[in-house]
Amino acid sequence: MGGEQSIPAFSRGVRLRRVDDSRTVLLVPEGIVNLNAPAAATLSLLDGARTCDDIAAALSARFSSEPAAIAADVRELIGRLAAKGWVVLRTASR
Amino acid sequence: MTHQALSLLAELTYRCNLQCPYCYNPLDLRAYADELAEDDWLRVIDQAAALGVLQIHFSGGEPTLRADLLVALVRRARQRELYSNLITQGTFLDDALLGKLVAAGLDHVQISVQGAHAPLADAIAGTAVHERKVAALARVLQTGLAVTLNCVLHRANIDEVADIIALAEQLGIRRLELANAQLYGWAFRNRAGLLPSREQVAAAAETVASAQARLRERMEIVYVLADYYERYPKPCMHGWGQRFMTVAPDGRVLPCPAAAAIAQLSFENVRDRSLADIWEHSRSFNAYRGMSWMPEPCRSCDRRAIDFGGCRCQAFLLTGDARATDPACTLSPHHALIEHAIADPGAATGAERLVPRRA
Repeated sequence: MGGEQSIPAFSRGVRLRRVDDSRTVLLVPEGIVNLNAPAAATLSLLDGARTCDDIAAALSARFSSEPAAIAADVRELIGRLAAKGWVVLRTASR
Repeated sequence: MTHQALSLLAELTYRCNLQCPYCYNPLDLRAYADELAEDDWLRVIDQAAALGVLQIHFSGGEPTLRADLLVALVRRARQRELYSNLITQGTFLDDALLGKLVAAGLDHVQISVQGAHAPLADAIAGTAVHERKVAALARVLQTGLAVTLNCVLHRANIDEVADIIALAEQLGIRRLELANAQLYGWAFRNRAGLLPSREQVAAAAETVASAQARLRERMEIVYVLADYYERYPKPCMHGWGQRFMTVAPDGRVLPCPAAAAIAQLSFENVRDRSLADIWEHSRSFNAYRGMSWMPEPCRSCDRRAIDFGGCRCQAFLLTGDARATDPACTLSPHHALIEHAIADPGAATGAERLVPRRA
């Protein structure tokens, strides 16, 4: 789940919505999930093309945390959303 | 607590081709015959988006009875970045309408069934629709749209909850909502025939819990409790006037879909005032907002920020006072009303004693 070569994308019926500068939410079937800043930054990079590693690398370029810690956080978040059915993962073919 | 409108229930019509006795719609359906026009609804969507609403749920009655309007409203909702949800019983969802709704940007559909099998489900609906609903579900799933299958549970069908879960599994449903009937409108009228026994509720809860564990990876099962059998009331609407609003078919704006029954209040109309004005300043939305309106035992209760005193509509229906603590709470001085209803729910069982909803 959320391994190096998997590409996450939002499931049908799930949309990221940036409400304003300080607030991004995940709109899901019959619910609204408030996102903290790291989760919002991570999920705004889901485009159906980037792998989890690509997303972690892009975040590492922007934030000062340890890259390995960022990669672990990305996999944890994506894994949790995949378990809820809000994100689907496909294997990268490269 | 700061209030912020997030979710709007748009009840496009109270007309419906089914006659489910558990419907929460009001008894005086004819009073809502003067339905809002397309321009009114488009304005409501624009005003809702400006107010910060993020999700809109199209419901009723049966919203697809206003199919042309529905497609235009879904399109406008998408333009305003609102997440749109269609709550339907599904009997009119043919490929043509589905195609239009998907093209307009619909995000999610909730389809209801009345039971797991045709004879009982059709008896509850008052017409032979179960097989058409199952066929509609299969068509909707084929479009790839996100789907929730909903079934309202009550005394006549709660014993077949395992079969309802099996039906959802067989169809490949990812999200199933099993909702014990909430007793408002027609459902309150039919309370004696709808209330399940304590044994039925306990058995269903156990069946649902084991299915939730077994299907964890494949299906989310949302279980809405039977509040008459709970210790504490439900956190109704996440508090009055906090997150939710309903626009009724005639344009009245309600803090809760069942609120029109509260005779102590009158409700403003989107034909006369803006949604933001009604949300922020109307007497109805401010009547039970926050906590300062609360009487004892809520006022000093540790749980007042958890359940907000329960449901105002239920308090009114049972005690005649919408400010009262929800009698479903075991701490309510009126809790005997609930115990009495449970102890003597009516002698007969099954669907035949229920009064079908009709205009």
